[in-house]
Amino acid sequence: MINFFLSLKTAVWTLFVLVCLFFLGSYMMPVHREIFASMNDDILFRWVENTAIGSLWYTWWFFGALAALALLAVNTLACSVQAVTGRWTRSDFLLRISPQVIHAGFLFLLLAHFLGAGWGYKTSGMMPEGAFARLPENRGLFLKAIRVRTDDRGFMTDWSAEAALYEGDRLVKTGTLGPNAPVFYKGMGIYLKHLSFETGPVALLVVAKDPGALWALVGGVLFMLGSVTLLFLKWKKA
Amino acid sequence: MEIILFILYPLALAGPRFILPALGLHGVLIAQTAMRYGRIPLIGMRDTLGFLAFAIGIFYAVAGWNRKRDLFSSLCIPLILLLLSGSLVSPPSLPGPLPPVLNTIWFELHVILSFLSYGLFAVGAVFGVLALSRQEPSAEKNQYRSLLLGYVLFSIAMIFGGIWAYYAWGTYWLWTPKELWTTIVWFFYSLYLHARLVRGWTGPKVVWMGIIGFVIVLFTYAGVGLLMKSSHEF
Repeated sequence: MINFFLSLKTAVWTLFVLVCLFFLGSYMMPVHREIFASMNDDILFRWVENTAIGSLWYTWWFFGALAALALLAVNTLACSVQAVTGRWTRSDFLLRISPQVIHAGFLFLLLAHFLGAGWGYKTSGMMPEGAFARLPENRGLFLKAIRVRTDDRGFMTDWSAEAALYEGDRLVKTGTLGPNAPVFYKGMGIYLKHLSFETGPVALLVVAKDPGALWALVGGVLFMLGSVTLLFLKWKKA
Repeated sequence: MEIILFILYPLALAGPRFILPALGLHGVLIAQTAMRYGRIPLIGMRDTLGFLAFAIGIFYAVAGWNRKRDLFSSLCIPLILLLLSGSLVSPPSLPGPLPPVLNTIWFELHVILSFLSYGLFAVGAVFGVLALSRQEPSAEKNQYRSLLLGYVLFSIAMIFGGIWAYYAWGTYWLWTPKELWTTIVWFFYSLYLHARLVRGWTGPKVVWMGIIGFVIVLFTYAGVGLLMKSSHEF
């Protein structure tokens, strides 16, 4: 049994199965929009609870992919533990440790997805200028103003919105939202996603809290460090 | 001016070093567009197909610098010309600056690294054909090196894309067909790199994987955008 989890062939076949399942998923998603359209609207586990479990005929590939990812995570962890606890020599330290750093990065990325899928929250809505919205964790958001900048040819070059965040009745943060410029407060991000001017200036705002985000960054950095090191060593060897 | 590229690139059929004039002009044209619009010209099929052809040209020149006229050139140059033709017949992207949501260094790094990695995957696939034709014993190793470098750049591109998405939308990954296909590419090349270590799998089996990988890349790049709705439509 332990050999199964340590086997490189397990990794290869699991990756192959994942490729096949994601291929199927990419076909199913646009065909059954009524099931998959809400997948990104809230945290993933809520979609699983409310939609996916009741539509197994269309979502089995998703659960299969989760199972395959779990197997791949165990396989990756087992292989890395075996590699790290083996005999070391000074000469091949970097060559042996860099794949394990990549593996650690991958595992952190999976952990980040797991945390983000199960905890935290995500909500969105259109807010006109001067509107107030209730947020999770007893918070409230006041949208003071929306501003648009255009260049001399009339192209919209930038937009922003002034927002104030309340906790209970207390003002805790004010800030300027913009494209790629959210305002953060205690792990919660407020994002200005889009603007509409059909009925006056209205902002499409997303409010999200993802407890996995930091781990995703840690995973990404480890993956980059490990893969760049491995690449350098392999090329040098070649 | 792009038409001149159709005269300059075929010169490389005489040998990889003859690609330099084409690459020089192509680089100048890309830089000119960038300066005219005040942004990297990597939006829409016209821009990106042209940049992909340029990226393949660069890696073709690097990988083939000491080669003579051979099958490597006979495969790479028509591929570059095919992509250039696709670029020319595609509608031009809207002139002007980047849409505000794309106006970030993370987006620019994400697309530049993505297309550089696609270029390496293409060159890796060409080395795969060389390996299968049994004309060159080192072709399999060259395929591996191209794909390993491509994989690393592609991984970094995905990580930068995730950072950008987190700042733009509060999530670093979405369940959409485009993201699924991007992950398919990542898993498939992970599969290739691991399969190469399995005893008995080296040789034609993994060489074929390197070739199939590029077909998946092409579909991820062009097919998914045309056939499926995703967050990558701007």
